Amino acid sequence: MSTIPSATPAGALYWPVQARRNIGVRSLFVVVLGFLIAYGVLFPGLFTASGFAKFTQSWFPLALVAMAQAILMLTGGISLAIGATVSLGAVIAATTMAGPLGVAGGAAAVAVTGLGIGAATGFIVVRLRLPAIVVTLAGSFIIGGAALLVLPRPGGSIPEWLSDMLAGNTPAAFVILVLIVALWKLYLATPLGLSLYASGENPVGAYRSGVPVDGARIAAYAISGLLSTGAGLFVAAQTGSGDPVIGTAFTLNSIAAAVLGGIGFLGGQGTMRGALAGSLLLSLMISVMFFLGFTPVAQYVAQGLIIIGAVAIPQFRKVQQ
Amino acid sequence: MTASNDSVGGGRARAILSSRPFMTLAIVAVVWIGASFVSRGFGAYGHLRYLVELGAVIGLVATGQTFVVIAGGIDLSVAAIVTVSAISLPLLSWQMDPTGLASVLAVLALTTAIGVVNGLGVALLRVHPMIMTLAMATFLQGLLIIIAGGSAVTAENPLVHWLGNARPIGIPAGILLWVAVSAIVLTVMHATPFGARIFAMGANPLAASLSGVPVKSTTLAVYGISGFTAGLAGVLVLGMNGQGYVGIGDPYLLASIAAVVLGGTSILGGLGTYAGTIPGAVLLVTITALITVVNASPGWRSILFGSLILGLLLLSGREQARR
Repeated sequence: MSTIPSATPAGALYWPVQARRNIGVRSLFVVVLGFLIAYGVLFPGLFTASGFAKFTQSWFPLALVAMAQAILMLTGGISLAIGATVSLGAVIAATTMAGPLGVAGGAAAVAVTGLGIGAATGFIVVRLRLPAIVVTLAGSFIIGGAALLVLPRPGGSIPEWLSDMLAGNTPAAFVILVLIVALWKLYLATPLGLSLYASGENPVGAYRSGVPVDGARIAAYAISGLLSTGAGLFVAAQTGSGDPVIGTAFTLNSIAAAVLGGIGFLGGQGTMRGALAGSLLLSLMISVMFFLGFTPVAQYVAQGLIIIGAVAIPQFRKVQQ
Repeated sequence: MTASNDSVGGGRARAILSSRPFMTLAIVAVVWIGASFVSRGFGAYGHLRYLVELGAVIGLVATGQTFVVIAGGIDLSVAAIVTVSAISLPLLSWQMDPTGLASVLAVLALTTAIGVVNGLGVALLRVHPMIMTLAMATFLQGLLIIIAGGSAVTAENPLVHWLGNARPIGIPAGILLWVAVSAIVLTVMHATPFGARIFAMGANPLAASLSGVPVKSTTLAVYGISGFTAGLAGVLVLGMNGQGYVGIGDPYLLASIAAVVLGGTSILGGLGTYAGTIPGAVLLVTITALITVVNASPGWRSILFGSLILGLLLLSGREQARR
């Protein structure tokens, strides 16, 4: 959409630029707000400390994978391996954190794995020039297989205090999410972050203007991997153990959240706040359906319909105008 | 089909020999010969015939996928459609239908309709193909569990049973079906105006539209074909298995896309041929068979499968650098 960098030297430009970026996602924000109000009215528990904590915890992993997918889509890539990467992060966390490595060592192992997988995927896609869809589809088998090797069946454990901190009655998840968004803002101000939109919108033009296109895209894949395994760590903390296939549903949901949030498939279109709002909308929909007593199966059906509707209606309006 | 052209002219023979479909075919031959030295039973006629029979299912699913990919889209709902076909067919057995033909036709009509709905979403609502077909897959997955529950359903359809088990003139009926479909598809793709329109649309939709290609109806047709062939594959896999259950089609999503890409069709559209998808499908089945021979744990098997596909892609699937 707009490729004006968010941190121009002239500070006066900052807010007008941000306002312009909001134009595309304004209607989405209204819908999300409407859903939030409906949710708050239906389930007043949302406004207690523990209710807010639980709500943000159910949103948190989806928000992370939506960001992971959005970064890739902004550079013109995509990943169908997000779900497998989440699973791998979960099983690594569940097998290392209670062992001699401890929580810090386990978290480091999860982070390094995510960065490594992401960077390797990025290298294959960008440098070896293979289509991202196929690489990540094949990658999902490799990563999923690795998760099965680490933990063949559900098991392992997460130290109880960590589970309590991340998934207990504290808003820790929300605070971490705010921190991640702040880091994302910082990243967008670095040279690689600035190149992100440019290399997605017009890779050839960006390359000829001296933008490190390949570097920006590989870095995007690495960050995406880090966010995915991080989501896995959180899911493991939530359930208190690891499961080698727990992340499967995140692949579709990450794409759905990013697309609901207005991220285009062609690269360079959309904003991270849109993707976050999209993931919030999706998470709200899932919670509302759960509370209304939909069976998981009916949730599949409704989710499929809602995603098509939510993506199609704005497009349809655009065509008619 | 390739070597006999030497007399026509060296240039043409060289073009065929260096083409991607031929390269994939060569890889299959090398793998088959190599594997039969390592493992004694691998090169037996019966085993190779069995491999091609398994390849027929992938080949059929990949037929529609090839059309969709060449037209610039992608169909991520084929696995769900295969399952729909394999589960709804046993439920549709009618008394006044002794051959089973009517219920097969009804199921194929149903899956074609699902494909057309995909096409409607892509062409009219302008939803991105990946979202449209993924959402369709999610929707169908939920619907299937509602309809069939967790249990397997047994097919008692004579035609389906014949398709999965009969061997007229010593060749499995599934392979004969695949050969027939391949002949039709290759003709449609490379010798009809419809085929030319698909390539034009995939290469540049705007230019195609401005040149008078009916983009909307062609898109509908392409996704309809994909629904039809996935349904056909579901009928065949039901015949070979005897039972249909939720998840029976799951392996065929990656397989269909991999077969298309390994066969040299560009995932970006506008370039490719079904002639490459055919050896691509056989190659995939061969890889799976080899991995089974290795006798590893499920984790290693999955890693090996992904790595081999990635390695083969490096040989054949690279896009041109554009700068």
